[in-house]
Amino acid sequence: MEEYMREPCPWRIVDDCGGAFTMGIIGGGVFQAVKGFRNAPAGVAHRLRGSMSAVRIRAPQIGGSFAVWGGLFSTIDCGLVRLRGKEDPWNSITSGALTGAVLASRSGPLAMVGSALMGGILLALIEGVGILLTRYTAQQFQNPNPFGEESSPVAH
Amino acid sequence: MDTNHPGSAGGRGGLGSIFGGGSPGYSHSDLAGVPLTGMSPLSPYLNVDPRYLVQDNDEFILPTGANKTRGRFELAFFTIGGCCMSGAAFGAVNGLRLGFKETQNMAWSKPKNVQILNMVTRQGALWANTLGSLALLYSAFGVIIEKTRGAEDDLNTIAAGTMTGMLYKSTGGLRGVARGGLAGLALTSAFALYNNWEHIKGSSSRLSL
Repeated sequence: MEEYMREPCPWRIVDDCGGAFTMGIIGGGVFQAVKGFRNAPAGVAHRLRGSMSAVRIRAPQIGGSFAVWGGLFSTIDCGLVRLRGKEDPWNSITSGALTGAVLASRSGPLAMVGSALMGGILLALIEGVGILLTRYTAQQFQNPNPFGEESSPVAH
Repeated sequence: MDTNHPGSAGGRGGLGSIFGGGSPGYSHSDLAGVPLTGMSPLSPYLNVDPRYLVQDNDEFILPTGANKTRGRFELAFFTIGGCCMSGAAFGAVNGLRLGFKETQNMAWSKPKNVQILNMVTRQGALWANTLGSLALLYSAFGVIIEKTRGAEDDLNTIAAGTMTGMLYKSTGGLRGVARGGLAGLALTSAFALYNNWEHIKGSSSRLSL
């Protein structure tokens, strides 16, 4: 498995858009397959056909809305990188909240606040998990003490 | 001390002469231009032939097991995103055109604006979804074919395109499958031709000469 490298900034938007579309279409496909299977009339053939058509019709739409989310998120992220001149978790969290707010802007200010909170918390969770993972994996690559005095290589 | 000094200096000179002129008087042209034979270093600090240090092409140190170019999987998200976004742009323009055409004989008012906007968003979403799912199918097929064949060339592109067309039109019966497959085949063949145009042109001109 190759190391996953993120693209440099303007192209990251396209990359994230595609990643979000893929995620949405696969997740939505599974969800809609189950839903179509359960909602179709009885009989295995009917159920399979219902599942197929639900996936065919609904999964691209879910993928599309995911793609909008990912593309807007990445655009705001890149804009923040440009404005602040640095790349850190706060960028992601802010752009998550802003994306939520912008996409809910047609439903009124209350929905905007709720959606922004959702986006911010979601991205904070993702970033937090990422930081924790990095910490955890970094411990395994710590060089052993060459003098051999401390026998315990646990984190200080 | 004083008597020892010239002797040690002479010894150093002798050592230098054994190794082929390690005199401190070497000039820049000596270092750069004199062709070296293997046993005589020009400088005490440079014991390799400088001609070996010249690099005229790019050389990269790659991690073990890494490919020299990016594979299909690394490019898949970019392809999908690009198709999705260009589909959205095309669909928006198309929706604008359709909306204007549909509301031609309406007064310039709010309903007209709303109708045009609706058309733009609907067409944009439709085209983005269609092109995005096509690109997703194509990328998935491409990755699968590349992994199973273990090779990467234009045949993969064409096969993936054909299979995408066939699967996308698989609801329309056998005729639809055939038509979709043909469309995919034609599009990806054109793409492969365009990609290798210089190569093909060079070989054909060599053939005609």
